[in-house]
Amino acid sequence: MTLWFVFALMTVAAIFAVLWPLGRATPATSGGSEANVYKDQLGEIERDLGSGMIGASEAEAARVEIGRRLLAAVDDEAAAAPKANLRLRRSAAVAALVGLPVMAAAVYLALGSPQLSDVPLAARSRPADVNQPLANLVAQVEAHLEKNPTDGRGWNVLAPVLSRLGRYDDAVRAYRNSITYNGDSSERRADLGEALTGAAGGVVTAEAKAEFERAVAQNAGDPKANYFLGLAAEQDGRKADAASIWRAMLAKAPADAPWRSLVQTSLVRVGAAPAAPALSDDAMAAAKDMSADDRSAMIRGMVDRLATRLKQDGNDVEGWLRLVRAYMVMGERDKAVAARTDARQAVANDAERLRQLNEGLKNLGLDG
Amino acid sequence: MIAEAGHYALVLALGLALIQSVVPMLGARWGDVALMNVARSTALAQLLFVGASFTALVMLHVTSDFSVVNVFENSHSMKPLIYKITGVWGNHEGSMLLWVSILALFGGLVAAFGNNLPLTLRAHVLAVQAWIASAFYFFILLTSNPFLRIANPPIEGRDLNPVLQDVGLAVHPPMLYLGYVGFSISFSFAVAALIEGRIDAAWARWVRPWTLLAWIFLTLGIAMGSYWAYYELGWGGWWFWDPVENASLMPWLAGTALLHSAVVMEKRNALRVWTILLSILTFSLSLLGTFLVRSGVLTSVHAFATDPARGVFILLILCLFIGGSLSLYAARATSLKQGGLFAPISREGALVLNNLFLTTACATVFIGTLYPLALEVLTGDKISVGAPFFNLTFAPLFVPLMIAVPFGPSLAWKRGDLLGAAQRLTAAGILALIAIAVLWAWTRGGSSFAPLAIGLAVFVVAGALTDLAERIGLFRLPFGTSVQRARGLPRAAWGTAFAHAGVGIALIGIVCETTWNSEYIGTLKPGDIAKVAGYELKLDDIGQRQGPNFREMVARFTVGRDGNTLSVMTPSKRNFTTRGASTTEAALLTRGASQLYISLGDIAADGGIAVRIYHKPMVLLIWFGPVLMAFGGLLSLSDRRLRVGAPKPAKAARALQAAE
Amino acid sequence: MTRKQRRLVMIGGSLAVLAVAAALVLNALRDSIVFFSTPSMVAEKHIAAGKRFRLGGLVQPGSLKRGDNLAVTFEVADGSAALPVAYKGILPDLFREGQGVVAEGALDQSGVFRADTVLAKHDETYMPKEVADALKKQGHWKDDYGKPSASAETQQVKGVMR
Repeated sequence: MTLWFVFALMTVAAIFAVLWPLGRATPATSGGSEANVYKDQLGEIERDLGSGMIGASEAEAARVEIGRRLLAAVDDEAAAAPKANLRLRRSAAVAALVGLPVMAAAVYLALGSPQLSDVPLAARSRPADVNQPLANLVAQVEAHLEKNPTDGRGWNVLAPVLSRLGRYDDAVRAYRNSITYNGDSSERRADLGEALTGAAGGVVTAEAKAEFERAVAQNAGDPKANYFLGLAAEQDGRKADAASIWRAMLAKAPADAPWRSLVQTSLVRVGAAPAAPALSDDAMAAAKDMSADDRSAMIRGMVDRLATRLKQDGNDVEGWLRLVRAYMVMGERDKAVAARTDARQAVANDAERLRQLNEGLKNLGLDG
Repeated sequence: MIAEAGHYALVLALGLALIQSVVPMLGARWGDVALMNVARSTALAQLLFVGASFTALVMLHVTSDFSVVNVFENSHSMKPLIYKITGVWGNHEGSMLLWVSILALFGGLVAAFGNNLPLTLRAHVLAVQAWIASAFYFFILLTSNPFLRIANPPIEGRDLNPVLQDVGLAVHPPMLYLGYVGFSISFSFAVAALIEGRIDAAWARWVRPWTLLAWIFLTLGIAMGSYWAYYELGWGGWWFWDPVENASLMPWLAGTALLHSAVVMEKRNALRVWTILLSILTFSLSLLGTFLVRSGVLTSVHAFATDPARGVFILLILCLFIGGSLSLYAARATSLKQGGLFAPISREGALVLNNLFLTTACATVFIGTLYPLALEVLTGDKISVGAPFFNLTFAPLFVPLMIAVPFGPSLAWKRGDLLGAAQRLTAAGILALIAIAVLWAWTRGGSSFAPLAIGLAVFVVAGALTDLAERIGLFRLPFGTSVQRARGLPRAAWGTAFAHAGVGIALIGIVCETTWNSEYIGTLKPGDIAKVAGYELKLDDIGQRQGPNFREMVARFTVGRDGNTLSVMTPSKRNFTTRGASTTEAALLTRGASQLYISLGDIAADGGIAVRIYHKPMVLLIWFGPVLMAFGGLLSLSDRRLRVGAPKPAKAARALQAAE
Repeated sequence: MTRKQRRLVMIGGSLAVLAVAAALVLNALRDSIVFFSTPSMVAEKHIAAGKRFRLGGLVQPGSLKRGDNLAVTFEVADGSAALPVAYKGILPDLFREGQGVVAEGALDQSGVFRADTVLAKHDETYMPKEVADALKKQGHWKDDYGKPSASAETQQVKGVMR
């Protein structure tokens, strides 16, 4: 409530500043005038003449010149006599009384956040806000590392968290420090490369690629580094290279490696594996043993579940693409087109997602 | 509550500025005194509210209130108090708030101390001032609002930029802004005069103190920025012809021209049309500088693209004010009457020459700064216009200007006597020739132009002193009379002499530093000795030190000369691990006006450290000159003749010569 | 002198000064401006040895070699080509492998770029503008270089420095 009271006081003060001169009777003094300046200049000449700074003839010439100006100025001033214009004064008063508060309220309410109170440092020492435990923890760890920059374990803990929070630039720095103080390892190099890639919005930059190469140099089998090297190849347009890197990974990978499906999906993307509805390996394996009808029923069930989920939460671009792809593979082009329309509606107000979606659709040959 | 109150105060200031833009204009149009007086009270109230808003932002930074986006992004709870405060204007939003605060300050000063102005003129000036203010309030509120909030405040702020944490930041930007924004007053006066359609000698007298005030601050601001770059960047350079520097130099050159042409207008009622144009151009260049620095077109095209709203908005303001005022000028200037007559050889003629060279020099800087931008837009070619360009264009234009400087004050108004002036300057000329001869005989190396340039500088300084001596009749009249006359001499005359001498002194510093600067760049191991300009610098040891948020590598040098130990210098290199940034802290040793300068490079594998050692002769004069200029300006400002000026057709000296 | 003659003298004098200034500017623009190139542009255009230009790109990781007495060599690359650079002196604080750099100098007969200046006008995340534009053109742009926070910070540094 005090806030509104303060606002009201300030508004009154502002209005008063406008009304005050309007309400007063015409002041006796009407400001300075040019004539005063010239009179002063004449006086100055006398002073200079008196102190011997200028000669008599020069003083006379200047006096004549200034005198001429003085006469002109006096003529001008006589012409302009002040007069009161009550109508204008009243409109000005109304503008101040009504216009000023209305305008101030309109602008302020559009921009301000009157419901928020101040949160100075002193008030923040209270227990961490439950809404942001992670962010606050991170801040505490960062503060600790600010003072003890050589604490390698701290960097080790901090880096992946930063990466997950999407603060890739800071994550890059943290991984670099972690490498400095904990020693080099293929995992750390690969993580650093991943953070660099994240910072570049998913593009494997030359810098990131160099890190992955260093990781592979230390451990040829590092899955993350290999995967990203494949991705780099794909982004450079060398799809065959990408496919061969990923195939080699799959060949060497243990059957239960959690990243198999990711690599397989990627292989599909570069066109190196038969296009199939991107279902998880387990599901595919299970489906193999079923009869044809059962299999299609199971796939259909999964596709429907996906469709239902996307109807509720339409932000998942990947999901939409998977759904469209599934319909295409099942030969139901109408449904694919319908899903495309739904997807576009769902992400319409998010330009970035829409762009991703359109790109994905293009790859599926369903753009337009 | 502080944040929201500050925000609301800014909105109210906008409202008041809008009223101030319209009501006084109507009042002046209809001759209503009360309506005209609204300008005064609203200008003062505006100052109050903007001041409150700025204070609120400072308090938010001091209390580290990270619920405010601006504080969160640019502050850190562990920053020392002084840097929390200076950090307020170390970022875009805060610095724009400082900009409008200073604008409001100047408006408030005119309102408070403009009693000697005619009512209509004051009303018009304040209304124009309010137009500028309104535009920038809109800009701040809509595109760069420093009071935006975060609902769930983070626990710690983001920024702790090491380079910005320096005392230089505390004073340099406010000074520069006081200069930039101060020229808004002469702009407002010019536009007001054009609206009224009446421009007289009295106008120049009213506008001069404001111009002078802005000029003093701009001079100091530029000098301070230059010194800061010199000691903080570790390269020992003091002027880089960087676009950002040029952006501040251009209004300075135009403002200096304006100061001089306003004198002619005040004393002789001549050059009126030109003076008005200069007033408009000076502030336009200030706006351009704000645009170049703030929009980021120069430092990074990309920053401009990521926030197009800001750049486009400032560009709009720029076009509106420059285009509007120049159109008004084009429409009205032709109707202005011609002013007083004068011969080409006269004080007026000398000041015209001064204006000609200053504005031409300003134009070359303008071309050098904007040509790369224009070329890139037109052809896509990327070029850089660096020091060589400016040395080839700016320097030749400054030489005739410098030669003319001592003649100006020696010539009489209306019709001068060049021969007489030359005779009076004989002593100064002889002194300059002696300086040239001595330097040629004694110095080794360097360009053969250097002694000539120093001779020129000596001529300027001696010329300024000669002028003073002539005025008080030193050596011609009894000493007592001279002292009496010196007392009676207007302070403006002293100011002129100091300012002109300052130019010469700065030139001496510039020439000495660039010509006889000696450097040593190499790798040193502890115990090694480097010899620079007769000094022996022995590297004693290299140590490590832990600062509050950085690690520091400190090298200790013992400085000696001819076997005597003089001092110890400790340059260092700081490494901010968390931010991954490092800064070089140069060590300076002042000997007279010269300095020894050491900055460190990296440690080599064999334990040696790369060092850069400079001996910079007379380098301090480069900044002492501008300080002297500003002091001269201050003397003039304190002169009651600035309020009470009179044309002085003949110089005291001339009258005396006739008497002899 | 009549009023007209006086005015003619003044206008004539002004024109003379302006003409001199224009001549100076044109002369200086011919001789002292420096073009900006990337390694691949150098490869395409066959810039003559001895012609000064600014070279921008990324410092090739692993290419930095320090010689005796502060001599350094490194390679500047832009994704499609690389050019060896030789420099003698102290590298700026912010010089890093993998980061953007701008060097000024000329090619020598053997095709090595002899730099006399290595510019350091960028902080850790900021990319010199020319380099960023050139890399963008070639599709090697790394988005975070241009992030508002990063470049705005640099701008501030510059803004307050001068």
